[in-house]
Amino acid sequence: MTYVLNRLLSVILTLFMITLVTFAVTNILPGDVAMMIMGTQSNPEALAGLRQSLGLNDPILVQYARWVGGLVSGDWGNSLIFKKPILELLSQKIVASAVLVVMSMCIALALAIPLGVWAAVHRDKWQDTVSSSSALLGVSLPDFFWGIVMILVFARWLGWFPSSGFVEPSVDFWGTLQHAFLPALALGLGLMAHLTRMTRSTMTGILSQEFIRVARAKGLTERTVIWRYALANAIGPVITIAGLQIGYLFGSIIVMESLFGYTGMGWLTYQALLNRDLPLIQDTVFVIAAVVMLTNLAVDLLYVVIDPRIRLG
Amino acid sequence: MKRFKTTKGMIGIVLLSLIALIAIFGPMVIPPDAATAMDMRARRAPPSLTHLFGTDQLGRDLLFRVILGTRTSLEIAVSAVLMSVVLGLPLGLISGYFGRWIDNVLMRFVDTLLAFPALLLALTISAVLGPNIQNTIIAIGVAFTPYLARIIRGEALRVAQMPYVEAARSSGTTDAMIMWRHVLPNILPAVIVQATISLAFAILAEAGLSFLGLGTQPPAASWGLMIQASRDQLDIAPWTAVVPGLAVALTVLGLNMFGDVLRDILDPRSK
Repeated sequence: MTYVLNRLLSVILTLFMITLVTFAVTNILPGDVAMMIMGTQSNPEALAGLRQSLGLNDPILVQYARWVGGLVSGDWGNSLIFKKPILELLSQKIVASAVLVVMSMCIALALAIPLGVWAAVHRDKWQDTVSSSSALLGVSLPDFFWGIVMILVFARWLGWFPSSGFVEPSVDFWGTLQHAFLPALALGLGLMAHLTRMTRSTMTGILSQEFIRVARAKGLTERTVIWRYALANAIGPVITIAGLQIGYLFGSIIVMESLFGYTGMGWLTYQALLNRDLPLIQDTVFVIAAVVMLTNLAVDLLYVVIDPRIRLG
Repeated sequence: MKRFKTTKGMIGIVLLSLIALIAIFGPMVIPPDAATAMDMRARRAPPSLTHLFGTDQLGRDLLFRVILGTRTSLEIAVSAVLMSVVLGLPLGLISGYFGRWIDNVLMRFVDTLLAFPALLLALTISAVLGPNIQNTIIAIGVAFTPYLARIIRGEALRVAQMPYVEAARSSGTTDAMIMWRHVLPNILPAVIVQATISLAFAILAEAGLSFLGLGTQPPAASWGLMIQASRDQLDIAPWTAVVPGLAVALTVLGLNMFGDVLRDILDPRSK
């Protein structure tokens, strides 16, 4: 009970610190925010009006308190470019990104675990070289490069998938998956590399342990030994690393969603940044950081469930 | 030094030396206006003897532009990583060495920063400051700092518990002196390894920022910008994407391979 309570307090504290960092990054940096939004050529009256409506004339602490107060009370302000309540925008877009993130994680794991196991089983043979070389290649190309290749091959040439856009899952769920597939594949390839290496090194460690030799001596088939005995023990660390990659993934979706015109959180963030929509920038940056933090927490807790050897102190 | 003689290490070193040579001497060798000179009759020309890597949508020679881009990308990546080391080193060192409440406070702050995806943080800083080369360096440098600080803190924590540190402390050496003379030299290998790997990420981050229009600005040549420009002409001029893509890939590949081998040599515990 104390553990849960401590954890909860720590979450609230971290959320509070996330608001501080977000606000600092978007406000304390030099430059007039109104000027940044409207450009240096805009007329002084319009600038003054914008300052007034954004409350930029108030002391910085008052501005911060107003923003956090709004976050807590559910008044997240309005987007300057979309002319809509930000909370409404976010709740729409976050679904699209959730589909994309989950899908790319599944693709990455589905590729990385077999590849990593294969490399570990055939350690220092050609299979290992093939596996680690493809992993190395995966991390060495920017994921938007993969994205461009996917668009060219699977959308333009083969016409198997749409090259851009997004369909609401409530309208056409199959269409949602089709639109998410290519960006998810491109993200998954970038993600896969790290996970393959992790799977390989964890599996290598486990395969040299005593209980594996016992299992083989008992006459179990090699398949049972590897998949039921070794992998069951390796999956925990791999999931943890996968969870830590969520942060990386939420950075990458900004590029990938923009490239594919996939209207999720990443796309929304990019529009906000490009158009200097300050209220929207603050809220999207805050939400992404909060989601990353909460996902990491969830992975920590999941780890306890997967691996019963871990006892909470 | 023997360990460098693995295939991986050799490939890494050869690639990196080549890229460094191109970045340093390349811009001096090519004709001064070659990268910006537009040849409107030879727009999107495929690779040939006159244009080895082909030309882009404005008839600019891609070989020359990719050479200029090498300098831009490396300049930004190296400066950004240096910046994150300069910011992260004192943070991690103090946190790991003193421990207790100082460590708690500083690491709470670093962990908060880690909740922000590095690319998101870099994009936001760059958008707020206004995109240009200098601000791209600041954006990536700040975004990478928490990662450096985390790793340095872990190393400093380990070294601070070593008997020789305790001995220095009991003989009355000041904390500042111990950090400088005993802790810093012993965490340096880990810092170098991490910096090398961060360089690879910085190259990718710069490409990403420029690709989104929030990094290096045209007409400057940058790999990310070149890939961005290739998007709309991919089916008629695929080389406009392949050339800069290959440049990024080879550089990052070289850095990763070199970093892996460096880690095996400098950090025996990773074996």
